[in-house]
Amino acid sequence: MARTLAMFTDTSLCIGCRACQVACKQWNELPMEEPEWTGSYQNHAHFTDKTYRLVRFIEKPQANGELQWLLMSDVCKHCAQAGCLDACPTGAIHRTEYGTVNINQDVCNGCRYCVSSCPFGVVSFNHDTGRANKCTFCNDRIHNGLGPACAKTCPTESIQFGFRDELAAKAEKRVAKLKEMGYAGAQLYGADTNGPLGGLNAFFLLLDRPSTYNLPEKPLLPQRNVFVDSVLAIGAALVVGVGAMVSFRERGGKGDGDA
Amino acid sequence: MLKSPEWHLLIVWYFFLGGIAGGAYFTAAIADNFGGPRDRNVVRTGYILSLLMIGVCGMLLILDLGTPSRFMNMMGTFKFKDPMSIGAWMLGVFGLFSFVSSALSLVGGEERAGLRRRWSLVGILFGFFLASYTGVLLSATALPFWRDGRLMGALFLASGASTGMAAISLLLYLSGDSAGEGFKKVKRADRFAIVFEMVVLALFLVLLGSAAAPLTSGHLAPLFWGGLVALGLVIPLVLDLAGGLRVPAVVPAVLVLVGGFVLRYVIVMSHA
Repeated sequence: MARTLAMFTDTSLCIGCRACQVACKQWNELPMEEPEWTGSYQNHAHFTDKTYRLVRFIEKPQANGELQWLLMSDVCKHCAQAGCLDACPTGAIHRTEYGTVNINQDVCNGCRYCVSSCPFGVVSFNHDTGRANKCTFCNDRIHNGLGPACAKTCPTESIQFGFRDELAAKAEKRVAKLKEMGYAGAQLYGADTNGPLGGLNAFFLLLDRPSTYNLPEKPLLPQRNVFVDSVLAIGAALVVGVGAMVSFRERGGKGDGDA
Repeated sequence: MLKSPEWHLLIVWYFFLGGIAGGAYFTAAIADNFGGPRDRNVVRTGYILSLLMIGVCGMLLILDLGTPSRFMNMMGTFKFKDPMSIGAWMLGVFGLFSFVSSALSLVGGEERAGLRRRWSLVGILFGFFLASYTGVLLSATALPFWRDGRLMGALFLASGASTGMAAISLLLYLSGDSAGEGFKKVKRADRFAIVFEMVVLALFLVLLGSAAAPLTSGHLAPLFWGGLVALGLVIPLVLDLAGGLRVPAVVPAVLVLVGGFVLRYVIVMSHA
């Protein structure tokens, strides 16, 4: 496997211009969607099969009654332990040699299990093709020595592309710097490979708690439940089986006159 | 925002009929191996019912994909920890067991009974699997309530048992075979399954706590309490135990089946 690639989105640098959102649409030839009223400047409200990059406009109430903008360009996290990948029964969702998670459109059969298995609500069902879609990490570009379109176009370097280990080190320094500048809430999300989901290959620098950005504080791999739930189901099978055995057992061929 | 897989009625029907297929098969297999010659009608009805149901199940799943031929894409890989992948394969394996058991129960007579019984002792494992894996499949998602119910697989298994047995007793009743010993035994087994399902359901709700809200207090709550708890579990049990009421045996069986459908409906549709 080649050295793992990553995207580091530093939300402290985001100005909400949505150039990433547009660049993503253009490079990936994603059609437009009807805009919707979200109650803020954010559009669209959620990831869809046609929106892989999405600038979130979070309005956080301040102590003085005013609102503070928290801008965050959100994207598929390309989790090191990816729920969508583990859920996929066809093998369409796979890990590339660069560590990114991609959906092979020819193999996807539209079962939609991945959609319900993403802890971030990223993977979306495309009703036109009957298959699942999400950010490809610009798979075609990275295989040709280019960074993803969103990172390439970002005018403030809020989105950076590079080798994961180098970016993570850079991110650590940036957090320390921001804390020095008085941003007490500055923190990394998904940079730690020992953290939740084995780290995210698209990780973030946030200025507040993850929940403020509608991100799970501690994302969990959905498949963690399979073992325990299966054992409990086997236990239930034993109880049901014994119950049926007792009910059907022949008692000297005479029946027992019960019921 | 987490996303719904947009599983609707086709999947509800699949979960329901898959439970019946598994439940009918393991009931028949147990009756075959532990019962006597007077349970032969239960055995044959159970095997054939499971075969018919698994056929319908396959069609429901293929229809749900939109493009039927893409079902084959699931046959290109096998993922041991993925309920959907194992499930797709087991559907085929169960179909094979169900087909051979049905065939042996129709032809071959008693000289093939030994083979039929041994075959069904292996098949019984796939029957239990089919009735329960759909619950585990739901609990291995990222969606609240689905992911929070540790007993989802156990509950689906108990419901598969109660509905599979109810379906057998209903078929025996309709074919005028309700006076025999086999009918009495399958009713007795169903009674046990219903009580067990009630216990599992109660534990399931207690363990979920506030996460059970989509069932217990949301817009699906009337259906859950009325359709499953009252109509599908409590009333059939009471009717069955109170023999003096002279209610035809078909009524509790139908109610249990309605309850089994409602269970899958409220759980799947809570994330529709």
